[in-house]
Amino acid sequence: MTSVAVATSAPARARKLVGAGRRQWVGLIYVAPAVALVTVFFVIPLGMTAWMSLHNWPLMGEHAFIGLDNYFAILRDTRFWNALKFTAYYTVIVTIAIFAVAFPLAIFIERPRPLTNLYRTAFFMPAVVGFASASLLWSWLLNVDSGLFSPAAFDLGLTGKKVNLLATFQPAFWSIIAMVVWKVAGFTMIILMTGLQSIPQDLQEAAVIDGAGPFARFRAITLPLMRRTLALALILSVAGSILAFDQFYIILRGGPRNQTLTAVYWIFNQSFVSFKLGYGAALSMVLLVILVALSLIQLWLLRKPEGLD
Amino acid sequence: MRRNTVKTMIAKLALAAAVIGAGLQAASAETANIWVRADGSNFMPRIVDAFNKAHKDQIKLDIIPNAEIIPKYGAAAAGGTAPDALSLDLIYTPSFAAAGQLEDITDWAKSLPYFASLSPAHVKTGTYKGRIYGLPFSADSSVLIWNKKLFKQAGLDPEKGPTNWAEIEADAEKVNALGGDIKGFYFSGNCGGCNIFTFTPLIWASGGDILSEDGSKATLDSPQLRGAVDLYRSMVKKGLVPEGAQTDTGSNFFAAFAGGKIGISPSGAFAIGALNTQYPDIDYGITFLPGKDGGWSSFAGGDNFVVTKGTKKIEVVKEFLDFAYSLEGQTILAKYGSLPVRGDIAKEALKDLDPRYQVAAEAMAKGRTPYTVVFNDLINSANGPWTQMVNEVFFGDDVDGAISNAQETMQSIIDQAPQK
Repeated sequence: MTSVAVATSAPARARKLVGAGRRQWVGLIYVAPAVALVTVFFVIPLGMTAWMSLHNWPLMGEHAFIGLDNYFAILRDTRFWNALKFTAYYTVIVTIAIFAVAFPLAIFIERPRPLTNLYRTAFFMPAVVGFASASLLWSWLLNVDSGLFSPAAFDLGLTGKKVNLLATFQPAFWSIIAMVVWKVAGFTMIILMTGLQSIPQDLQEAAVIDGAGPFARFRAITLPLMRRTLALALILSVAGSILAFDQFYIILRGGPRNQTLTAVYWIFNQSFVSFKLGYGAALSMVLLVILVALSLIQLWLLRKPEGLD
Repeated sequence: MRRNTVKTMIAKLALAAAVIGAGLQAASAETANIWVRADGSNFMPRIVDAFNKAHKDQIKLDIIPNAEIIPKYGAAAAGGTAPDALSLDLIYTPSFAAAGQLEDITDWAKSLPYFASLSPAHVKTGTYKGRIYGLPFSADSSVLIWNKKLFKQAGLDPEKGPTNWAEIEADAEKVNALGGDIKGFYFSGNCGGCNIFTFTPLIWASGGDILSEDGSKATLDSPQLRGAVDLYRSMVKKGLVPEGAQTDTGSNFFAAFAGGKIGISPSGAFAIGALNTQYPDIDYGITFLPGKDGGWSSFAGGDNFVVTKGTKKIEVVKEFLDFAYSLEGQTILAKYGSLPVRGDIAKEALKDLDPRYQVAAEAMAKGRTPYTVVFNDLINSANGPWTQMVNEVFFGDDVDGAISNAQETMQSIIDQAPQK
């Protein structure tokens, strides 16, 4: 409409605009496959999840609209809130652990030195293993009768008898942390390494000439200039940890005594053990909101301060 | 508006699936599709083959992994592509019937001349609100197995299994004294399904129960359950049970005994076929799961045969089930790992087989199955109250707290179950 109106008053400009319009259409066609993918695999499922969350939707049989009842039920669902609490605890611990391992590794492999490529490959290797396969591998390693750790400790005389690492909370929880760090730290290391490499060498040299020690250089130059990289690594790590499921399902089955049930595990149980798909959908929506909020907070915390380029 | 979108989408999906399904089945209009869980992968193909050879109507069989058959069936039913019939773990029959998913087959079932001799535990779980939705197909009872070779080495009579709780513990202790890798007793200490199958019979045989007859009340807090717990705790404390039992979610349920280093283990009839074919070197005996002072009981497990509501192939399905109930069908089942489900011809079907099957068949005839529409939530779920309780009471410090906690959780799950 507007382009027609413009065309009568100023034909020369109109031709330009038509050209721009056509270019836009061509652009739309180019992104159409991506839009279609996102629509089919994200927007529609998300819409359906929201829709299902308003229903009593059993796996079998008729479903009925119940408004917000599922959400009210969540408020009373203490086991979900406990699962969420455990998930938060796990996320904090595992994120600290991953960064504590990944940062030194990144600094270690950043500059070329003999065998750097070998180290990089070795540290990164576990990241290409799927979470489920890694969990299966570790569930065997951790087995008390036929595994590696307990029998090895026993045979070396470190423990008096074979200790079942998965039987009580602390050793079971820290075994999972160890496994996740082994699996994920390599990936975080690569992200941090690219951040380190993007810091101009002259800044460091200038600081050295000014007499700054290694710790001061790290705090005043490296960390501030890595904000964006850190934000990326942090969001990936936090989001991944909040959605943790495979390792707790495969290695611990939520045990010992249901102390390691994560939020996603609880959603899975409600949906596919109790067959309450509607309730599971409502739980998923709650988790989605929490995740989006957390990511926004992290982006805000790690935003570029005013005045810095 | 949105409701319509969803409906159209489901309809389109269903149509797509139906087209694919029709393509596969176009060869014969009289082919019924049947699903079975992986537990039945030994006997089911044999009986289907035998049926297909002798009949014009055909059965197409799909074998589905144990853990996936329920969600998969639910999804297929929602999309209109459910199989015509399903060999379903019998404990799920009440909840499937309650969901309105199954065809009422009461009249046909009652018209069968041998209806009265079909496994009573199966028929009980197959009945919902007075109507029959499932009939027995395969059966598995729980029994106690002992390793004769280890009994002999320990100076015990290898032909005589334990007949009460004190004997179980004493025998396990003697075997355990052989030392080395050899342990007296084994159970899967973190597996709800395994323990409902092999631990509750100890309680039943002593006169207790974990659920009321109609499944409306949890009755965990009983001296019988407490006594059975004490038996297991005592054996754990004395070191008669391998460390791994505490975290075994069921993967070692059979394998532990089959390794030949365990004296006594509660197990199931399935173990007879599995040991005979896969571990022929293990010399073992089979007896009933005893009560505190004798007597015995068993869990009646296995599959019920259920028909999807509204299927057009119901005649083929009935023909197949009728064949499975014939002496030929029952013999095939028995030969490949299921107990017969027809009491009147069970002896005949088993007559050429390992005599130890007779014990298991007898256990089956008197076997019991808890009746509840929320079996999965209460018992089988790895995070449900039953699984949590067995692990806590066998290995934890607070037995009373664990029992009362489980009692409370189970009751609240029962009370919240959909009442239709």
